[in-house]
Amino acid sequence: MVKNIGIIIPTIILTLFGLLMVYSSSNIWSEYKFNDSFHYLRHQSIFVVIGFVIMYILSKIDYKMYYKKANWILLICFLLLGLVLIPGIGIIRNGSRSWFGIGAFGIQPSEFAKICLIIFMAKYLSNNVKDMSDFKKGALPILIVIFIFFGLIMLEPDFGTGMVIVISLIGMLFVSNIKLNFFAYTGVAGLIGMVGLIIAAPYRVARIVSYLNPWSDPLGSGFQIIQSLYAIGPGGLFGLGLGNSIQKHFYLPEPQTDFIFAIISEEFGFLGIIILAGLYLYLFYKVLKISANINDLFGKYLSFGLIFGIIFQTVLNISVVIGLLPVTGVTLPFFSYGGSSLLVSLASIGIILNIGKNVK
Amino acid sequence: MFYYKIQKRLYLTFVILLLIFLAIILRLFYIQVFKTKSLNELASNLWSRNLPILADRGLITDRNGIILAENITTTSLVVIPNQIKNKEKVSEDIAKILNTDYLNIYKFVSKRSSIERVHPVGRGLSYDVAEKINNLNYDGVYLVKESKRYYPYETMLSHVLGYVGIDNQGLSGIELEYDKYLKGNDGAIKYFSDGKGNRLDLSEVYTEPVKGNNLALTIDAKIQEMVERELDNVMISLNPDQALVLIMNPNTSEVIAMSSRPNFDSNNYQDYDIETINRNLPIWGTYEPGSTFKIITLAASLEEKTINLFEDHFYDSGSVTVESARIKCWKSGGHGSQTYLEVVQNSCNPGFVSLGQKLGTNLLYDYLIKFGFGTKTGIDLNGESSGILFKLDQMGPIETATTAFGQGISVTPLQQVRGVSAAINGGKLHIPYIVRSISEPETNEVIVLNKPKLIKNVISEETSKLVRYALETVVAHGTGRNSYIENYRVGGKTGTAQKVKDGVYMVGNYILSFIGFFPADKPDYIIYVAVDNPKGITQYGGTVSAPVAKNIILSIIDYLHYKPIKNELQKEYMWLDTKYLYLENVVGKNVKEIKEQLKNFKIEYSGSGTNIIEQNPKGDTYVKEGSIVKLMLN
Repeated sequence: MVKNIGIIIPTIILTLFGLLMVYSSSNIWSEYKFNDSFHYLRHQSIFVVIGFVIMYILSKIDYKMYYKKANWILLICFLLLGLVLIPGIGIIRNGSRSWFGIGAFGIQPSEFAKICLIIFMAKYLSNNVKDMSDFKKGALPILIVIFIFFGLIMLEPDFGTGMVIVISLIGMLFVSNIKLNFFAYTGVAGLIGMVGLIIAAPYRVARIVSYLNPWSDPLGSGFQIIQSLYAIGPGGLFGLGLGNSIQKHFYLPEPQTDFIFAIISEEFGFLGIIILAGLYLYLFYKVLKISANINDLFGKYLSFGLIFGIIFQTVLNISVVIGLLPVTGVTLPFFSYGGSSLLVSLASIGIILNIGKNVK
Repeated sequence: MFYYKIQKRLYLTFVILLLIFLAIILRLFYIQVFKTKSLNELASNLWSRNLPILADRGLITDRNGIILAENITTTSLVVIPNQIKNKEKVSEDIAKILNTDYLNIYKFVSKRSSIERVHPVGRGLSYDVAEKINNLNYDGVYLVKESKRYYPYETMLSHVLGYVGIDNQGLSGIELEYDKYLKGNDGAIKYFSDGKGNRLDLSEVYTEPVKGNNLALTIDAKIQEMVERELDNVMISLNPDQALVLIMNPNTSEVIAMSSRPNFDSNNYQDYDIETINRNLPIWGTYEPGSTFKIITLAASLEEKTINLFEDHFYDSGSVTVESARIKCWKSGGHGSQTYLEVVQNSCNPGFVSLGQKLGTNLLYDYLIKFGFGTKTGIDLNGESSGILFKLDQMGPIETATTAFGQGISVTPLQQVRGVSAAINGGKLHIPYIVRSISEPETNEVIVLNKPKLIKNVISEETSKLVRYALETVVAHGTGRNSYIENYRVGGKTGTAQKVKDGVYMVGNYILSFIGFFPADKPDYIIYVAVDNPKGITQYGGTVSAPVAKNIILSIIDYLHYKPIKNELQKEYMWLDTKYLYLENVVGKNVKEIKEQLKNFKIEYSGSGTNIIEQNPKGDTYVKEGSIVKLMLN
């Protein structure tokens, strides 16, 4: 275990810091909605405990098991994603039918689909080393699989999670033996697709404009981003201090979820964010070392895919919060309130820890 | 090889993500360091409600520290509707305390605005009422201190001081011109509220208002009071359309007093029509100066040595013909043969035409410009006019002739006074000013000290001395004799200008003016009086305006204890005039010795001795012929 201490410690720090920030950002809303400022904290604490247990268990399970069960895992994942779309089984929250309700808790299958697809991708890449240089034999079949799952998730719709999954898988393709001009082609194809989407629905232009200048529609599409900037800006270099956020007082909607980074910036300032970014990068670097050093190809792809998914989601979330990208609706790993997101992140780390044990 | 390639790609992704993180951090640095201030201000507007606390405006005082504009403090009720939970109860309780209708309060409490002043019932509250409201201790109900401008002398100097608007902003006069110094910085109490409008328990931020700077004017309030009193008398006795007085220090062009009628009360400016408020006649009004302008022609002629004041003669037949125009003297039949000094004393128009002709159009015009006519003087007040001159290329012989005695051009009183000041002060033309100094309210440290601003020398000291002398003779022997003061030296010139309406001279409608200075040998004060269309009096400057100036000078003599002197120019007596004779100091002398000396007076004795121990009036003065001189004997 001492071998993986460089992964365990940043994970625990990020998770516990996340728990603290869930409380700090949610206590006002929590008090208002439930007459209990600890409501969200209590729920998230349960997820943290469950998450750590799952992380521990997964770190003990030999990761090669997933190689063997990859096809089954993909099938289950496919069924769950299909099931959630059926009214009566799937629940609509925030405009997306992406939840299974279990008591007071909700579970998003699309979050778990991320791990499933990364496992399947890792297996596929390690099995088809020779064919990956051939587009038709190597890349095309897996691209079709990706496209089907992305389509399922977009039916909910959950564009953010779909994005994270697609980019994670493409990232895995990138480190495999695939030729770089593949990315040139997919890049061009992606651009053509985007232009097509814009022509098909011109309102997307307005959405992009409002993201470029949120003040063009301050009460509509620009509202969230403006409120976010009103938190981040006044935070300044050193922040207002833990618990002193003003924007959490009903200005920033649901501050404990997708926009929790704004509250962190407000309370801890620019210097706090530097430390936070350092932790994420350190974790990324440590896992990459495992990916680089393990001889087993499946473990290599799997560990990379899992950590890349987490880090890419982090970057995507923060870019939205600071106004670099339009609002997509992805959570900040380890921080945002919500069980699915946290459990998936900690489960990923658990699997990575097991892979790390196999490094010579 | 294959593994090596994967390893390279792995680290490449790390580098790519590292760069993305760097971009994010740069963006955050931009937001949190460069933009933090502006975003904080924007966000502050969202979070906080400011209760403004009006700053005290700076005091305006006269040159001796007498307060002309000050502030009074009042308490006002302010509500922040969002923060008031039980609007009905709050309205009811406050209405009871203010003794007003429930709805009267409720309409403010229920308004959808961030902050409401309860106007007018909630303004200017007494201490007791304020205390009661304070004791209610309701969220969203506040009492704020308000500062209100107050002018203790009401109408006095109102055109100069100007007035302030509802938010204490300067709207005219000194209040406007020096607003940035006077206004100070308003303070505020900042209350934070959450997104639902409830008050947040964050500490309130109190920004203390900063008092404005104090202004000391060059005005002398005592002299200003004399001026106001004289103008009031003129208005009552002569019922003119307008009247004005302007007093300056001729050596510096500091304004000592400035007033005009009609005027207004700065405290209640709303009660007056805007024309009355805006027209500060001494700097705004323009009209033909008439004979007072002859001083400028005289100064130019003396400086250019085109005449000898004492030796050259001019024969006035009663009129002079220039080209086809016949210019008449005001005295029918003319003044006959006169020296040019007598021309000045008699204010003889044909005589001045000859002065203008001797100078020539170009030189005369040069001097008009030199003496500052035709352009604004640059005084630190708003609403100044520039007057109208002929253009040089339009000036033919007729224009030159009329300009020489002050017709056909138009000037402001301020230009006239400033020009004559230069003619009598040794030739120095200044920019007039009215603010003497600006100082810090707490420390009284002077931050701006205005000094006389010399533009240029326009005539020599010798010329100026001659002008003073000539004008003293005007008062002693000429048209200005109604301003003659026994035992004091006064110089001056009268003016009677016909008013022009739509390019035509009006019949029987004159502006009667007098410009005088005192003491004549070394002037401290220059006084300009103009009365527009007085009723029921012979319309001459000498009969209307000169006595006003004389009264003001007498008051100044009394106020500043000017000592009487012996060697002033003797008045030349007309048969109607009472004669003043020199009364010797006879105290300490024997009764018998003085019989001859006092033969022109009636003597009354008291006591029975032979030596005089006191006399009344005092000796060494001029006393009316035949008046009683009381002598006390031992």
